Amino acid sequence: MADGTPPPDPSGPDAVGPASAVRPFLVTAGRVAAGDDGRSMPVETQVVATAEGLDALDLLAFERHDIVAVCRLPQSLAEIAARLRLHLNVVRVLAEDLRDAGQLTVHVPDSDLVHDASVLRRVIEGLRAVPDSRGVPSDTD
Amino acid sequence: MTPTEPAAVPAARSAAVRPPLPVKMVISGGFGVGKTTTVGSISEIEPLTTEAAITEVAAGVDDLTHTPRKTTTTVAMDFGCLTIDPTLKLYLFGTPGQERFGFMWDDIVEGAVGGLVIVDTRRLDDCYAAVDYFEHKGIPFAVAVNAFDGRVEHTLEEVRWALDVTDGVPLLVFDARERGSVRDALLVVLELALARTQD
Ligand SMILES: Nc1nc2c(ncn2[C@@H]2O[C@H](COP(=O)(O)OP(=O)(O)OP(=O)(O)O)[C@@H](O)[C@H]2O)c(=O)[nH]1
Ligand SMILES: [Mg+2]
Repeated sequence: MADGTPPPDPSGPDAVGPASAVRPFLVTAGRVAAGDDGRSMPVETQVVATAEGLDALDLLAFERHDIVAVCRLPQSLAEIAARLRLHLNVVRVLAEDLRDAGQLTVHVPDSDLVHDASVLRRVIEGLRAVPDSRGVPSDTD
Repeated sequence: MTPTEPAAVPAARSAAVRPPLPVKMVISGGFGVGKTTTVGSISEIEPLTTEAAITEVAAGVDDLTHTPRKTTTTVAMDFGCLTIDPTLKLYLFGTPGQERFGFMWDDIVEGAVGGLVIVDTRRLDDCYAAVDYFEHKGIPFAVAVNAFDGRVEHTLEEVRWALDVTDGVPLLVFDARERGSVRDALLVVLELALARTQD
């Protein structure tokens, strides 16, 4: 990785070393991320690289580069932080910067939609179909 | 930017793809009760850990420098996910065990559809903080007794009495290592959340 930390190894919690306590402040110049309503974006907020962002990858450095690169596929803020070993709030601040620069799109989940009965029913249905370790889904027993 | 670049990144061109709607649930409880195990049993990825720095400003200011004394603590939260379909994805977040990181919980829990409080019946009081938290926030939750090696030291009625939770809070026994068992525990919470929308 550009900042000299070992590459992310998503093989489990133990594989993730402690993130530096000093870097976050430097990287974000001490800014604190807050959404338009003053609240910080939820950890599950989805982030996707734009074509512009991917085109500009070579021009981006360090954390910004890594964030855009890892968001070729949609990622949550938490996933970005974990995979790149960055603090969550650093990712929040940088994701907002990169969104403002047109290099990422940031999709804060609509809370009403998430809590809507139709969405909950779909999650329930999807989860019921998950087989247990013997291969038996929940809706067959 | 680089006009000579061939169409080497076709996936990049579809970056405008809408990401899935993330639905979040929270796995909570005291130290070592099986939170990470629970997440890992159902997640399609190995549980990931992310860290957030918590800066505590110590009481008082250093007289010489006028700099508040700060100590930075790092808390870890782990999480996993399960794709329901291309438009919908379930995220499971484990809360850090420490009671004093309550505000870190807010950060994780905000917007969650429900919670699962895991209990080890040998250390019942470890889960009070989590039960209080969900009750206070009005988030639908169930209490799941992790049957370590199939053993439960107290009956569910004893657990309910000890935790002082109302009959509206489902209480169940599960095995954090069993995917089907975790799935069914999560379903109890989701059904509760669904029932709330119909009130
Ligand atoms: N025998 C048995 N062991 C279990 C069970 N669930 C979890 N464990 C073990 O108990 C230990 C703690 O489980 P974790 O999932 O790490 O618990 P946790 O709540 O994430 O722990 P902290 O994050 O440290 O608070 C691990 O060694 C697990 O393998 C169970 O149902 N039976
Ligand atoms: Mg854990």
